[in-house]
Amino acid sequence: MLVYGTESIEIGIARLSKFGYDFAEIVGEPEQITAKQYSEVLNRFNMPVSSIVSIYSPERDLVSSNPAIRANTIKYIKGNIDFAVALGAKIVTLTPTACMKIKPEVSIEQEWEWAVQGAREAAQYAFDNGVRLALEPWNRYETYLVNRLDQSIQMVDDIDNPGVGVMADTFHMSIEDKDIPAAIRKAGARLAHVHLADSNRAAPGEGFLDFGPIVQAISDVNYEGVCSFELLPAAGDIWGVLSGGKAPEFLDPYTESSIKYMKNIEKNLGLIHG
Amino acid sequence: MANKIGLSTFVLASPFSNEDLHLMSKVKDIGYDVIEICIEDPSKLSAELMASAAEKHGLEISICGAFGPDRDVSHENSSIREKGIDYLITCVDFAAEVGSSFVSGPMYSATGKARLLSTEERKQQFNWAVESLGIVAKYAQTRKVGLAIEPLNRFETDLINTLEQGVALCKAINLPNVGLLIDTFHMHIEEKSLSSAIEDAAPYIFHVQASENDRGTPGKGQVRWDEMFMALSKIDYKGQIVIESFLPTVKEIAKAVSAWRPVAASMDSLAIDGYEFINSNSIKYLSGK
Repeated sequence: MLVYGTESIEIGIARLSKFGYDFAEIVGEPEQITAKQYSEVLNRFNMPVSSIVSIYSPERDLVSSNPAIRANTIKYIKGNIDFAVALGAKIVTLTPTACMKIKPEVSIEQEWEWAVQGAREAAQYAFDNGVRLALEPWNRYETYLVNRLDQSIQMVDDIDNPGVGVMADTFHMSIEDKDIPAAIRKAGARLAHVHLADSNRAAPGEGFLDFGPIVQAISDVNYEGVCSFELLPAAGDIWGVLSGGKAPEFLDPYTESSIKYMKNIEKNLGLIHG
Repeated sequence: MANKIGLSTFVLASPFSNEDLHLMSKVKDIGYDVIEICIEDPSKLSAELMASAAEKHGLEISICGAFGPDRDVSHENSSIREKGIDYLITCVDFAAEVGSSFVSGPMYSATGKARLLSTEERKQQFNWAVESLGIVAKYAQTRKVGLAIEPLNRFETDLINTLEQGVALCKAINLPNVGLLIDTFHMHIEEKSLSSAIEDAAPYIFHVQASENDRGTPGKGQVRWDEMFMALSKIDYKGQIVIESFLPTVKEIAKAVSAWRPVAASMDSLAIDGYEFINSNSIKYLSGK
């Protein structure tokens, strides 16, 4: 639903339903649109929620040098865990830095420690509520701390709590990782959530990525979660994009082509039939 | 005849200065034909010293620019546009004096400007770029130098992201010494197909930079090199291929390139292994035509 920007949730969920999606992924801003408001629409379309995408604005930064911002971030993540519980979602996304913050305020070692401590507290809360946090690396233009899957694996191991796992987003991995299927295999059972987008962040099939081996790797690590499409227009101004700078192909056309394209790949790999 | 292979000074030292010219011996020893010198701080470089060092080491020089916030030919403020034009003219003079046939780089804007603008604002920015680069290109003609304009990915610029947009800018400037520099790192993020992007832009391609998807050693990541070289072969590309990566210490455009971490075991190994890879592909696909 992030892809649809400021469009009404009713139109967005109707679109997912129309094109045969099994789950919706919801933006975690419970103070803007409440669980109750979502539930009303979701129930009407009989559409379950897989995951909550957290928005890490400058006031939500787990490694800020300002302790009040660090505390506020933990509070925000816990709020999203409550939101997930209310909507029946199993996953809340986590990135330990504010989006588009691209240099550390103190040493990387200190920031890593704050990230691990803060994420551990949130992960325990998630675990107690039957939810899992998914630690997502972002590309170099959106963060400096966790860019690659092996760094996410390292941080998840350092957090050492069953309430957190690794998240793979194929757009970020197309910039930062050397070999996407190999990175996913390395994550193994830690893999908690997957975002699919092509190398240009458009619908799978619109860019360079070879999704066959990627889907095979996801299957081989026995991932049982949901793969969701997070597609965004070709602009570096993420906040501008999120506030509504949408391109029309990201609505019906990509919503339809993405699921068709991936189902076809799953069929070719023998992962689904029919 | 084989394509000439080069190494960017961003791999060696930043800002590259007269004190770094001795590094040319290392570049030559690896096997390179060309050193691409980025004019980060013109006051730290002398064209005369550059040219004599290159002659001594048997290298050609290719000149590229670095476009920080004060070197912005499409800025709203005309005095900043002037500064951008002045800087580019300095680069053209360097190129003429060291025998580089063009100045390359993302010269249409300050690198790192990535804003969402209205269609009208975007059109105005584009028109300023056309006007300013037209002035520079006309001067460059008098010095027998070309401009090789580089599209950058969405996080580094909001103006020219794809080869197609680059061609549109070249057409708007409409001078024969204006073409494109194409960089595989940016193309890997922005293009839908390397081969059709290259074929469609063919007459405008003056220069090529080879860089892996993570800016690491070419050949060790996800860029579709076979497709890239086949396309260059198809358009009969005879120009240079320059390997580019960035030292984490880069200053002029640090935020823009966001080089937060080492992308190879060392910059030396990137230069050596990268050369082997580009040279062998160049022989395989481009030589003997």
